[in-house]
Amino acid sequence: MTEPAITLQTFFERARDGRLTAVRCRKCGELAIPPRQFCPACGERAWEAVRLSGEGAIESFTVIRVAPRAHAADAPYAIAVVKLTEGVSLLGRIVDISLEKIAIGVPVRFRPLVRGSQTAVGFGPA
Amino acid sequence: MRRVAVIGVGVTKFGKHERTSAELFAEAAADALLDAEIPPSAVQALYYGNVVGGETEHQLHTGPQAASILGIPAIPTTRFETACASSHAAFRHAVMEIAAGVSDVVLVGGAERVLNVPTPESTEYFAYASDAGWEQTLGLTFPGVFALIARAHMQKYGTTEEQMAAVAVKNHKHGTLNPKAQFQKEISVEQVLKSAYVADPLKLLDCCPFSDGGAAVVLASEEVARTRTRPVWVLAAAAASDWMLLGDKRDLARVPATERAAAAAYRQAGLGPADVDVVELHDCFTIAEIVATEGLGLFEPGAGGRAAAEGRTSLGGAIPVNPSGGLKAKGHPIGATGAAQIAEIVTQLRGAAGPRQVADARVGLTHTLGGNTATVLVSLFGRD
Repeated sequence: MTEPAITLQTFFERARDGRLTAVRCRKCGELAIPPRQFCPACGERAWEAVRLSGEGAIESFTVIRVAPRAHAADAPYAIAVVKLTEGVSLLGRIVDISLEKIAIGVPVRFRPLVRGSQTAVGFGPA
Repeated sequence: MRRVAVIGVGVTKFGKHERTSAELFAEAAADALLDAEIPPSAVQALYYGNVVGGETEHQLHTGPQAASILGIPAIPTTRFETACASSHAAFRHAVMEIAAGVSDVVLVGGAERVLNVPTPESTEYFAYASDAGWEQTLGLTFPGVFALIARAHMQKYGTTEEQMAAVAVKNHKHGTLNPKAQFQKEISVEQVLKSAYVADPLKLLDCCPFSDGGAAVVLASEEVARTRTRPVWVLAAAAASDWMLLGDKRDLARVPATERAAAAAYRQAGLGPADVDVVELHDCFTIAEIVATEGLGLFEPGAGGRAAAEGRTSLGGAIPVNPSGGLKAKGHPIGATGAAQIAEIVTQLRGAAGPRQVADARVGLTHTLGGNTATVLVSLFGRD
């Protein structure tokens, strides 16, 4: 049995403390968020957890104005795909940047969004 | 492998209904069996698409429920769930079962009921097709997924909101020619551009509606099909997938699952994009149609928006796309959509599409996409 380098639960526990984590393949160097069993590049199961800088730039974004029930009170809110400096991308909520200033290429920095027991990925000003 | 044909099709009107999804499917299936001139007792299996029945109708186990309401409870039946591509996935399974010689006659279809719940509730249920731990927690919506794709496409290729609006205008115009369509009213580019933002840059009139409805098709082996008057042959049935998380997709301006499924379908059929005469594709949002026409090889990457604005995908254009009105105007009862697209292509290849007929259509293509672009099915059809 192979212990995973990181699970969904441990990722979000670290994220809650402000540490954004990825896994790197010890064989070929492939970097990934979230964790997977097999490396999609080389097929190995030799992951190690690595800490990311949390710095990146907006790759694409939208402003959600018609929200699902659970998020209706937040609307309008921005969601973006952020390309991190290490080369991997992650979807997150954009916070503390006014909606009209959000644009492709704007630099952002990871921050956890904690609501009760739930942690989600957020990005604020760099 | 044996050849497979579609010998019967049936579709309900799409829109709001006061009937369960099982009842809607039963109406479509009865029409499909009558169209095939085949008794229900000849059906050897039923594969069925239904997505949010567990949420909107508190109903799981919809396969046997659908078989029971048809009065053929003893046959093997399975519900397929690949988000909005569910009944197209069911179709591919049925094609393989007949091709392999396991069954001779298989009924395929799907149904959905969502207009019995308010929009914020259905918006939440549709979002279940995105990852729960990573993406639903952010408040990502289905229009939000395609808004991110739209923004990336605009950035990379210069696609405009006007070009996206042209897709909506075209599909609404086609919808006026389809009596089963949910919307049968023309709209203007200006109306689309002035409609309220749902998820920037997508506006209300860039989005397909929530819909109730059902659709069914009867598939048969060549031996059975040869005894029918107008079989339409399945030339290919292909599926492909992609990463579940949007952050894992390398290029948001393209849909690799469409490109992979299309390549597999063209290879199976020994055909290419230039051989296709009519297309029903997954226009859940206007940008989705643009990206799909590129992924299917009908236009170069980045050229889909301009092609739509120039009328090349309109009825009478070089390659008519969504003569039925598409998901945008015909409606999108998600479990039924794949089967409904196949029903339209079969009708076109029979030359029976009336005022929306594509002249001398010989080869047709259907493309159905699931949720966050992680599932795509592409099938090709031809006539004798």
